[in-house]
Amino acid sequence: MNNQKRKPISSNDERLNIIDALARWITWPRFIFALTLTFFLTSILFPFYWMISSSFKTRAEIGGREPVYIPGSLDFEAYRELFDPNHPSFQRFGKNIINSARVAIPTAIIAVILSTLGAYAIARLRFRGKDLLLNSILLIYLFPGVLLIIPLFAMLAQIGSRLGFEIQDNLMVIVVTYLAQTLPVALYMLTNYFRTIPTEIEQAGLIDGCSRLSVIWRITLPLAIPALVTVAIYTFMIAWNEFLYALVFLNDRALFTMPIKVNTIFNDPSPRPHVVMAASTIMTLPVVFLFLALERFLEEGLTAGGVKG
Amino acid sequence: MTAINSKKQSSFGRRWVSLEAREARLAWALIFPTALIVFGLVLFPAIFSIWISFHDVGLHNLNDVLNAPFVGLDNFRDVIEDFAFKFQGLQSWGAAVTSVVYSFAATILTLLIGLIAALLLNRPFRGRGLARAIFLFPYVAPIVSIAFVWRWLLDPRPSGVLNDILLKLNLIELPKAYLATRGLALILVILIEAWRYFPFAMLMILARLQAIDNTLYEAADVDGANAWAKFRHITLPELHYVLGAIFLLRLMWTFNKFDDIFLLTGGGFGTKVLPVLTYEFSFRLFDFGRGSATAMLLLIILVVFMALYVRIVMRDVEET
Repeated sequence: MNNQKRKPISSNDERLNIIDALARWITWPRFIFALTLTFFLTSILFPFYWMISSSFKTRAEIGGREPVYIPGSLDFEAYRELFDPNHPSFQRFGKNIINSARVAIPTAIIAVILSTLGAYAIARLRFRGKDLLLNSILLIYLFPGVLLIIPLFAMLAQIGSRLGFEIQDNLMVIVVTYLAQTLPVALYMLTNYFRTIPTEIEQAGLIDGCSRLSVIWRITLPLAIPALVTVAIYTFMIAWNEFLYALVFLNDRALFTMPIKVNTIFNDPSPRPHVVMAASTIMTLPVVFLFLALERFLEEGLTAGGVKG
Repeated sequence: MTAINSKKQSSFGRRWVSLEAREARLAWALIFPTALIVFGLVLFPAIFSIWISFHDVGLHNLNDVLNAPFVGLDNFRDVIEDFAFKFQGLQSWGAAVTSVVYSFAATILTLLIGLIAALLLNRPFRGRGLARAIFLFPYVAPIVSIAFVWRWLLDPRPSGVLNDILLKLNLIELPKAYLATRGLALILVILIEAWRYFPFAMLMILARLQAIDNTLYEAADVDGANAWAKFRHITLPELHYVLGAIFLLRLMWTFNKFDDIFLLTGGGFGTKVLPVLTYEFSFRLFDFGRGSATAMLLLIILVVFMALYVRIVMRDVEET
C-alpha cells in the first residue's frame, strides 16, 4: 500500500491515480487515527506557541481588540523590560533566574547523593525495620504540601530563633524543604533501579576483598548512571517549578525564584501579558530542552517512580 | 550448582555473622541523612500539624507555639460551619464537595485521555518518537507558565483567543469571562488539569501496553476477533492493575493539589478546593489552627476514599 502512495508523478493524467490511491489508503481507522493525533498535537502545541509568540508582540498587538495570531515582527520590548536596566519598569529578571538556579541545582545534587546512599541501603543491605522505614517514607505521597507548610513554618521559626537564622528569605531553607519533598520519590526510583542490577556482580567484588563502599563507588554507581541522571533532572525540575513553598517563605523581591516573580508580574495592577509570557518562556524552555535531550532516561524514570515492579 | 553454593556459604559462614551486624550498621549510616530530613521535615511536621489543629495558633504567638492555648475541637467546628467549607445547595457547593467532585472528575478524565494517547502512540508511525516527546510537554512545563498561558488564552476581553474564535463562529454574542463564571470555571479547571496530567497516565499505560504478549493478539486474529473485541478482552484486562494504580495516585495528588487552582482562578467562582481554603485560613487570615484543621479534614476525606477504593477495587483485582 505504501508503494502506491509514493509512486512518482510523471504526467497530469496520473493525478487521478494519486487521488485514487489516497482514497484507497485512507481507511476509517487511519482517518480517525490521523484526526485524533492532529487534535492532540494542536491542543498541546498551540498554548506553547501562544506563549512564545505573545512574548514577541508589541504593546499594541497585545492590547488590541482582536488577538494577533502571528506577530508582525519580532519585538523585544517584553524581554527588555525583564533584562534591560534602562527600561522604565526594569524587572531584574536575571536575578530571579540566578535565584532559581541557586535553589534547583543544590536540591538536585544533594538529593542525588543522599538518595543514592539510602536507596543502596534499602535495595542491598539487610537490616531490621527496613520495610517500616520504606513504607513510612512512601506514606509521604499522602501528605498535601499545604498541610506540611503550616507546621514547617512554625517549626522552622522556632529553630531559626534559637539558632539565630532567618527562615523567611533564606534560600537554604527553601532547598531543605525541597529536599524533603523530593527525597522520597528519588529514594523510591533509585531503590527500584538498584534492585535491577544483579547482586552477583557486587558479591564478586566483595569476595575479591573490596569494602562495601568501594563496591558502591566502583561497581554499582557506574552501572546506575542512567538512574542517577533521571533523579537529578527530576528533582531539578521539581525545585525549578515549585510555587507554594517559595510563595510562603520568600518576601524579599531580590530573592524571588522565577515562579514567584512571574506571579508578581502577572498580578501587577497594569496587566502586561507579553512580559508574563516572556518570563514564562524563559522559565519553560530550559526544562523542556533538558527533558528532550534526556528523554529516554527520563521516561524510564517517570514510570519507575510510579509503578512498583 | 547448589552443592557449590552451600559449600561457599559454609566456608564464609563465620564471617557472615559478624558481617550482618556490620551490614545493618552501614545501612543505618547510609540512610540516616535521608531519614533525618524526611522524618524531621515531613513526618514530624505532619504530627505537629495535628497538635496545631487543636490549639489557637496565629501570627501573634507563632514564636511561642508550644504555649498556645488548647481549644479542643473549636477549630474543626469553625471550619465545618464556615460558609466556604460546607455544602449549601447546588448554588454554593463549599470546598469539601467541590474538592471531591473536582478530584474525581479530573482523575477520570486524565485517565481516559491518557489511555487514548497511549493507544495512539502504541502503533508504529513515522515521527512517533517526536510525537511522544511533544505529548509530554504539558507535564514537564512549570505550572506557573501553564496556568498563565491558559488564563491568557481564556482572557475575558474580546482579544482572548477562545473569545475571538467563538465570536467569529457566532457561537457567542458577547465575550465571556470563562474562569470567572461559576460552573464553567470548575469545568475548565478540570479540563486544564486533564490536559496537564494526562502524559503521566499515558507513560505508565504505554509501558504496560508494550509489555503485553503479542501472541495474545495473534491468537485473537486467528479467531477472527475485531479491534474492539481485542481491546475489550485482551488490552483492558491487561491494563487493569496499572489503571487502578494510576487512578489512586492521581486522585491523591489531585486532591492535595494547591498551585493549579490557586493560579488559575485564585479559588474563586466555585473552584475553592480544600488546599486553597487551607492556604487562605493560614496565610491570609493567619489563623494557623483553623488552617491545620482544614488540612486534617482534607486528609480524613482522602483516607476514607482511599480505604473505600482499596476495599472495592483492589479486592476486585485480586479476584481476577
